[in-house]
Parts: sequence; C-alpha cells; structure tokens
Amino acid sequence: MAIQIHNFSWQKLLPWLLPTAIIVIWQTAAQTGWLSSRTLPAPWDVIKAGVVLSSSGELLQHLLISTRRALTGLLIGGGIGFALGLLTGVSRVAESILDSSIQMVRNIPLLALIPLVILWFGIDEGGKIFLVSLSVFFPLYINTYHGLRSVDKGLIEMGRIYGLSRWALFQQVILPGALPSILVGLRLSLGYMWLFLVVAETIASSEGIGYMTMNAREFLQTDIVVLGIAIYAVLGKASDLLANFLEHRWLKWHAGYRAA
Amino acid sequence: MDISIAEINRLEEASTDRRGIAVQATGITRNFGERHVLRGVDLEITPGEFVAIVGHSGCGKSTLLRLLAGLDQSSSGSLSLDGKRLDGINPDVRIMFQDSRLLPWRTVIENVGLGLEGNWRTAAQHALQQVGLDDRANDWPASLSGGQRQRVALARALVHEPRLLLLDEPLGSLDALTRIEMQRLIEQLWLDKGFTALLVTHDVAEAIALADRVVLIEHGAITLDLDIDLPRRRERGTPEFAKLEGLVLSRVMGIDKVNVRNQIKGHITAIISGDPVLSEIQVETAYGTVTATVSTRSVEEYGFEVGSEVLALVKSNEIALATI
Repeated sequence: MAIQIHNFSWQKLLPWLLPTAIIVIWQTAAQTGWLSSRTLPAPWDVIKAGVVLSSSGELLQHLLISTRRALTGLLIGGGIGFALGLLTGVSRVAESILDSSIQMVRNIPLLALIPLVILWFGIDEGGKIFLVSLSVFFPLYINTYHGLRSVDKGLIEMGRIYGLSRWALFQQVILPGALPSILVGLRLSLGYMWLFLVVAETIASSEGIGYMTMNAREFLQTDIVVLGIAIYAVLGKASDLLANFLEHRWLKWHAGYRAA
Repeated sequence: MDISIAEINRLEEASTDRRGIAVQATGITRNFGERHVLRGVDLEITPGEFVAIVGHSGCGKSTLLRLLAGLDQSSSGSLSLDGKRLDGINPDVRIMFQDSRLLPWRTVIENVGLGLEGNWRTAAQHALQQVGLDDRANDWPASLSGGQRQRVALARALVHEPRLLLLDEPLGSLDALTRIEMQRLIEQLWLDKGFTALLVTHDVAEAIALADRVVLIEHGAITLDLDIDLPRRRERGTPEFAKLEGLVLSRVMGIDKVNVRNQIKGHITAIISGDPVLSEIQVETAYGTVTATVSTRSVEEYGFEVGSEVLALVKSNEIALATI
C-alpha cells in the first residue's frame, strides 16, 4: 500500500520536473549575467512584471479583452462549423451542395486572407473575430461531419428496429457515436483559436495580450514580452484542460478516455 | 457465467399470454442487380415454432431474415405475419445479430431499455434477470465478455415481448462452451414465452439442438425441410442426434457426391502451362471448378488433356489429380 502511494505521488510530480529544471537553470543563467536581460529576462523579472501589471489592473483588462475575442470567435466560427457539420453529416443533399466547396476553401492559407480581412472589416474587432472564427470553423466542421458519417451503421439499423424515431435515433445513437470525433475537432479548434488570436492581435490593436506584447517590444521591455508569451501558454493549457474535462465527462463509456 | 434454469423459472413471473406469430412467405425473391440471392422461397412457420435455417455463407439465409425484420424489401413474392402483409419494421418482430450491437455509451440496463417508454427500468431489470445479468445492470458494455454482451442483446430483444424472434447467427462469435450455455438459455426462454423463433446458423448441430424444423437454403432456394422430432433438452451424443446431424451435413456439404477419400469425379476444362515447371489444370466437377497445380512434366507423363476424366482429390491444402 505504501509503495502504491509513493508511486502515485511520483507520477503526479513527473511532468513538472522538466519545466522546473529549465526555470531554475534560466534564473541562474540570468543572475550570473551569462544571459543578457535584453535577450531573455530572468523568470523572476517576468513574475515581477506580472505583479506590477496585475496590480494596476492593466493585465486583467488585456486578458479579458483577449479571452472575449477568442470565445466570441469560437462561438461564431465553431457554432457555424458544428451546425454545418451536422447538416452535411446527416443529409446527403446538404453534403453534395456544401462539402466540396468547404473543403476547397479549407485549403486556402488563412493568413493569406489577412489583407482582405483588413479591407473588409478594417482593423477593429470585426477583423480579429472573423479570423478567429474562420480558424476554428474548419476543425469543428470536418470532425463533426466525419464523426457523423462514421457512426457504426449496424447501431443505426439496430436503433431503427427498436422503434426509435428519427430524432431519438439522432440523439441517442448518431450524436453520441460522433462525439469522440467532435471533441477532437473542439480540441483542435481551441488550439487554432489562440494561435490566430495572437496573429490578429499583433496586426493592429490597442488592447489585448497581443497588443501588450507588441507594445512592450517597441520599448524593449523583454520581461513583458515573455510575460505575454507565458500567458498564451497558460491559456493554451487551460483550453486543453477544458477539452480533457469534457472528454472525461462525455466519453466516460469510452475505454480510451476512462480515468486511470 | 452459470445460469441456473431453475432460478430463471423462479424469477419468471406469470407467463405471458402472447403466443407466437404465424409466418408465411410465398415466392420470395430478392435480387441485388444481376445477383439473384433468393429465388422463390416458400416458407410457412406455425405460431410458436422454432425453425432453423442452415446453409453456406452467401446462400441467402441472412437476406431472408432481413426481409422478415423489415430491413429490406423483397423483389417479388409476399411476406405476411398472422395473415397480415408485412411492410417495414414491425414491433412484434425483434432481431438479434451476430454482433451484439449494444450502444457503448449506454449502460447495460439503458441498452436493454432502448426504445421502451414509461416504467422501462423495471422491465429492463426483469429482462436482465432472465438472462442472469441483473448484477451488471450499471456496467458499460465494454466491460462485458462476448457471451455476456449477447445475453444483454437477448434481454433487449425479449423485453419487447416479441412474437417473432429472429436470430442471425447470434452465437457465431462465441466459444464452444458459452455457445452451448446460450443455446440452453435461448431454448428455455423460448419454451417459457412461446414466441416464434427463426434461427439462421451455419452450425448444423446448433440447428438440430434447438429447432423443431431445420430448413436448408442452397443458392437462394429451400432444398431441404426436415422435422426434428427429438425430445427436448437434446443430448448431442445420442445416435438419433448424430444421425440427423449426418443427414443434414451430408446435404449441406454434398458428401453423397464426394466419396470417402475426398475424391470428386470431373473432367479437365483447361490446362494452363505458362510456366516451364508448374502448370494449372482446371477440373469441372459437380460443385464447380477446382484448380490443381501440378508439375508441367507430369501433365505429359500422365496424359492429362482437355476433356479427359479425372478424379480430383481434395486435400487439406491442395487439389491432387488422379487418372481414372
């Protein structure tokens, strides 16, 4: 029993070993002057910058703005992607009308659209939300569509025999069967969401984490630049945790996702 | 795993009044493009009868079952249940497949209760008791063995009190011991409930152990319809059982035309000797064409030529030829 508990705590600590070591080495290198603060500020300075910006309320303001943009984009783009994925996933007619066009647009590099986006939406919120929406649209669309199409036909047939109505069949058989794939789409979307938010916020902004970082670069405030990058990393990790949480909650029947 | 029949009997409440349904199939054909899968099948099943259909894979037996389940439409002919024409899925008919088709995202009891309304949990729990799995009600299907999953599928079919139960090789993927256990369970539940049962299987012994009548389908038509008059809880070891099994098997395998040394008479239809060392000889027999690979030298040595009569010897991994 004692050995088990010992092993358990080890398992929990293991993932933190490498990041901790890197930070310790980094701090030491900065303190001894081997690493110039122009290149990379000491971790401690980054934390100090964080504390200063937080206490003025500036950091929270930027963070809220960025999160709001990200979530608005996710809601619009992801919502449309999910809805169209459902449509093409259940209807052959919708599939023939929509799918090939969507797949065609998907292959355009989204960053190539930036000049157009600026022309259409200006440099205000609209453009940023449009970019984020577009980036989360495709992973959710493709995985929803694919998930619905790859539900076991035998299960659908079985549901029909057992007298399920079309709606019950969709709700009890098709949608749960597609859920693992849809959640993969959501996970990918959350990743793209932050990625494209960074791009959008560095183009032209007056607030948000991206703006804060670009602005700090102008004044050679490397500590704030690193702080901004660290915040993106934390936000990315938070999205990942959210996806994990949903998978554990909705896919607890699935052997691959069952908590160990 | 051990199912006590006595216990099931005890758990079984007042037996239901709903008896089996009468099945009548007349001149059923089913074509898939150019392929004629069923060519005029006539089959009558009296209420409460247990009929087993045997035949080679692809003979059309599963297609017939799918027609009865309302999952497919016949190309011609008529199907009726209790004299009423069958159109589409019928709530009196339930089917059990070779794969259990349980929804992995629903617990065992939720699977059994699929499509039920009202007080479904009690009914589902009772059905699970009948198959001896009430203690697994809240587990995920993934945690069950193959035999347990089939028992859940059986409970799911029975909870609807079907008047016709279609069984599409439901025990095909189970190990031998679990199979026999499941056969007894199916037999017992059939005796208790009195539904009409139609079992498709490729296991002749299973068909004889369970059915009142064994029907053989070959190339889309019924070629044998045999009453099995053995008393129930049939013992496989008895001479009567073995005799019936041999009778059906010989029809299925066509053993009457293959002699004791696995030889079939035929004539050579083609000799393909593209290779200097090996040649292929095609022999047409009563069962279709077999191909034997022989050394090119022996083709001349034994005087094999197109049209000559030969014996094809069916060995475990090759076809050998003998001159007559």
